[in-house]
Amino acid sequence: MPTKLSRREFIRLCAGSAAAISMSGFLAPFMAEAAEAGAPPVIWIQGASCTGCSISLLNTVHPSIQDVLLKVISLRYHPNVMAAAGDLAIQEAMYKVARENKGRFFLVVEGSVPTAADGMFCTVGEENGKPITFQKLVQDIGGQAKAILAFGTCSAYGGIPATPPNPTGCKPVADVVKNVPVVNVPGCPPHPDWMVGTIAHVILYGDYPELDEFGRPKMFFSGIVHDNCPRRQYFDNAIFAKNFSDPGCLLEIGCKGPIAHCDATTRPWNGGVNWCIKSGAPCIACTEPQFPGWPMYERLPEMPIAPGITTTIDQVGLVLGGAAVVGIGGHLIGNIATGRVGFKKDEKEGDN
Amino acid sequence: MKEMELRHPIWIRIFHWTNMIAITLLMLTGYYIHAPQTFRLFDNMDTPRMLHFAMAYVLCVGVVGRVYYAIVTGDWKNILFSPLKDIKNFPSMMKYYLFLADSHPDYGKYNPGQKMMYSGWLFMALIQIITGFILYKPDLFPGLGALLGGLIAVRVIHYVVTWLFLLSVLAHVYLDISEGIPVLLSMFTGKMPKDFHHTSDGPKVPQPGKGVSA
Ligand code: HEM
Ligand code: SF4
Ligand code: SF4
Repeated sequence: MPTKLSRREFIRLCAGSAAAISMSGFLAPFMAEAAEAGAPPVIWIQGASCTGCSISLLNTVHPSIQDVLLKVISLRYHPNVMAAAGDLAIQEAMYKVARENKGRFFLVVEGSVPTAADGMFCTVGEENGKPITFQKLVQDIGGQAKAILAFGTCSAYGGIPATPPNPTGCKPVADVVKNVPVVNVPGCPPHPDWMVGTIAHVILYGDYPELDEFGRPKMFFSGIVHDNCPRRQYFDNAIFAKNFSDPGCLLEIGCKGPIAHCDATTRPWNGGVNWCIKSGAPCIACTEPQFPGWPMYERLPEMPIAPGITTTIDQVGLVLGGAAVVGIGGHLIGNIATGRVGFKKDEKEGDN
Repeated sequence: MKEMELRHPIWIRIFHWTNMIAITLLMLTGYYIHAPQTFRLFDNMDTPRMLHFAMAYVLCVGVVGRVYYAIVTGDWKNILFSPLKDIKNFPSMMKYYLFLADSHPDYGKYNPGQKMMYSGWLFMALIQIITGFILYKPDLFPGLGALLGGLIAVRVIHYVVTWLFLLSVLAHVYLDISEGIPVLLSMFTGKMPKDFHHTSDGPKVPQPGKGVSA
């Protein structure tokens, strides 16, 4: 096994479609080796989340990568998989690791950060009998990290917990910790490869990969689903599915592929078995900053016309169009009645 | 034969008709792209999308050209809606349109309502061009798309403004035809009878830019 994988090879491997099935397995030995040679620790914490991102990560089929992730690399405070618990976990596993590796370790945050009521909607432990809020934890620990890896759309952009009316004041990590770079790995949940690949990059190179405008690693998020979709021919030929699982383009049942950045087109889920659109479900653009700010099974959201009342743009347009036609008809009658149009006009012009 | 005077120089007519063709096709293809199963004008997505993007470029040239023309010839004074000046003229104009008065003052080449509509179209065309190009090449202007609230919001804006175009074009076509056939013909021939005065007999208001457009 070669010791060194050049960064360029690494990017090519992660971004390439051939990697879809074998990426984790291929990277595992490199990561194990790097971890033994003293790779930067990775701390994983969870806030306002459903744990889906963790489950997705643990779903990587390759057993060797699970070994690497769970044992060799210091996922020292992963709430679902760590051994220690309670005060001990917080003090020993987290604050100590952060202190000892200041500016070198990476913090993975899963879930968004509730900030209303001083963050009391989400507490993660106790310190001297007082609750530690998740907000404080992210700020204390995140503030010392080399970079924060925001895994999942909730921590990257707010996601479901931050959707209006958002009573808990949930915010994306980048809004809570300002002095440390944040790598966003969105997805609801993210594909395991996106997380493994990002962790592998920071472990192998001590730094995070190149990011796009919205903080997403370019190696996974630079393609648009609609541009690479296997159902694209149906779109071009205007053959549309009317129901889930029908053949045809899923646009008319709400597919957001035209706005979604994601490489699931060439990186199927569940170990390469299937993915959203192939299985007959429209893309919901789960990797986009505004997710889930749209109806999933309609093309466009409705328009607010009064407080609490929405309607479709077409309905508004048709009503206004009807009003315009009535107005024009009325005006035309007026025009004829007053002799503004018709033969009289010329006479009048002539008189002038 | 009545004595004719020049109302629309050739460039105004050229831009009027290229813009009209571009916007009409943009609306037709746009409605199809929006609702291919309801608005069955085409039988595939390829043709209307290509046509939409081609007409998008025609519209860009038309808008830039028309604005350039307006600036260098001073024609902008005829068209640009000025909230301060033109609002004052609204009551007299509305009285005329609502048949409360038989005539209206001479506002210059266009009345305040027309100015508002034509300036509004420039504004709307710019919105369509900006939102359209964001949708066309989302990765060229990622920051701009986010600023407008994300690509779905951009789509909503693009679609709402399409309806505004449809409604305002409807009003425009009616109002201009109902003003009289000579008005309609003047956009083809450029000329209008010298004594055709839009039933104006009220006090004159200053007519900026008249010398240029005539
Ligand atoms: C008067 C001008 C225009 C009108 C009335 C118009 C109308 C429309 C409409 C109704 C849609 C469908 C929206 C939807 O349901 O998602 C659309 C889509 C679109 N328009 Fe326009 N548009 C105009 C100008 C432009 C311009 C200047 C561009 C620049 C490239 C443009 C690019 C697009 C693109 C890329 C789409 C999406 C097509 C797709 O998803 O396949 N449009 N337009
Ligand atoms: S299914 Fe979605 S992504 Fe695929 S072609 Fe249709 S609209 Fe585009
Ligand atoms: S295809 Fe769409 S819904 Fe599926 S993972 Fe990608 S962005 Fe999310």
